[in-house]
Amino acid sequence: MKSRQEIFDIVRRSLIELFELEEPAVVPEARFDDDLEIDSIDAVDLVDHLSRIFERRVSPRDFRSVHTVNDLIDCIDRLQTQ
Amino acid sequence: MMRGRTDRLHAEASDYFASSESPAVTRTDYYWLRLVGTGLWFLVFGLVTFVLGFLVLPVIRLLTPERARRQRRSRAVLGAGMRGFLHGVSGLRLIEFEFIGREKLGRPGQLIVANHPTLIDVCYLLGFAPTASCVVKAGHFRNLITRGAVIGAGYIPNAPTEDMIHAAEAALRAGETLLMFPEGTRTVPGKPMAMQRGAANVALRAARVLTPVHISCEPSTLSKNLPWYRIPPSRPKWTLRVGEDIDLAAYRDAPLPIASRRLHADLAGLFAGANTVRD
Repeated sequence: MKSRQEIFDIVRRSLIELFELEEPAVVPEARFDDDLEIDSIDAVDLVDHLSRIFERRVSPRDFRSVHTVNDLIDCIDRLQTQ
Repeated sequence: MMRGRTDRLHAEASDYFASSESPAVTRTDYYWLRLVGTGLWFLVFGLVTFVLGFLVLPVIRLLTPERARRQRRSRAVLGAGMRGFLHGVSGLRLIEFEFIGREKLGRPGQLIVANHPTLIDVCYLLGFAPTASCVVKAGHFRNLITRGAVIGAGYIPNAPTEDMIHAAEAALRAGETLLMFPEGTRTVPGKPMAMQRGAANVALRAARVLTPVHISCEPSTLSKNLPWYRIPPSRPKWTLRVGEDIDLAAYRDAPLPIASRRLHADLAGLFAGANTVRD
């Protein structure tokens, strides 16, 4: 079990590494489509990357309602308790 | 919706008849015979697709319960159908074609990417590389006529994105050849090609080799927004040229999203030259 802060750190590191984003841009309120310019193909890459880190086969469908970084943290937090 | 379509058809029809009154272009190569011949061939092609999809492929499905074998057989039958269609129309001198380097297609784990100027591009590629799988419009899986064929052959629907990418990745990893049209849909002549990044992404995930095919058709015909009866003034000729393999190792150092953007940009540049079709 990881804390929300730990999850946020992993997500932020992944976003910076995968998409060459600047660290200050990755805040919990940032929207993937508008603020971070991450499209549906990027989302597949991100989900695959996070699945490997958290060692969980997650279906991209679990991420349907994810719009912001905060939504993603909620989603991962929920998945790790299942 | 319906009304918009009718208006468009009216506009096209009057455009068509107007153009026949002012013969700015000379119609050659037995224009009227070619027109009738083209209509007949479309009819035959539709009938054959129907018979394959409703009769031949379901019979193959019944006789071959094993998935890999069923796909191989279905693809062989569809490939033969497409090849037959092309030899038929070129034998009747309705079209001409030249396919340069086709022996380079069909290798295991090979991703083939091609530009998409005309309706029948897929017939050349799947007709002459019939072991290949293909990413096709998701709508073909709902269309009653094409449904049997695309399911039987184990082709991959292009939506939703995540399923398409994972299925394409799995096919390449299993050593299949895979065909993708990065544009997703036919190019409108004269307009620059809008490419989707999916092909570059799939290539970097799992392809052993990436091979581009440049397709051109002179004069332009069967392009997007043109009905079948708008045949060109002279007999159209397709030229398909298989390009050099693209070295993927050069891209794979970077994380996937960055690498796929680079490869995507390079592919767009590579096809930009080939896509100058005259309208």
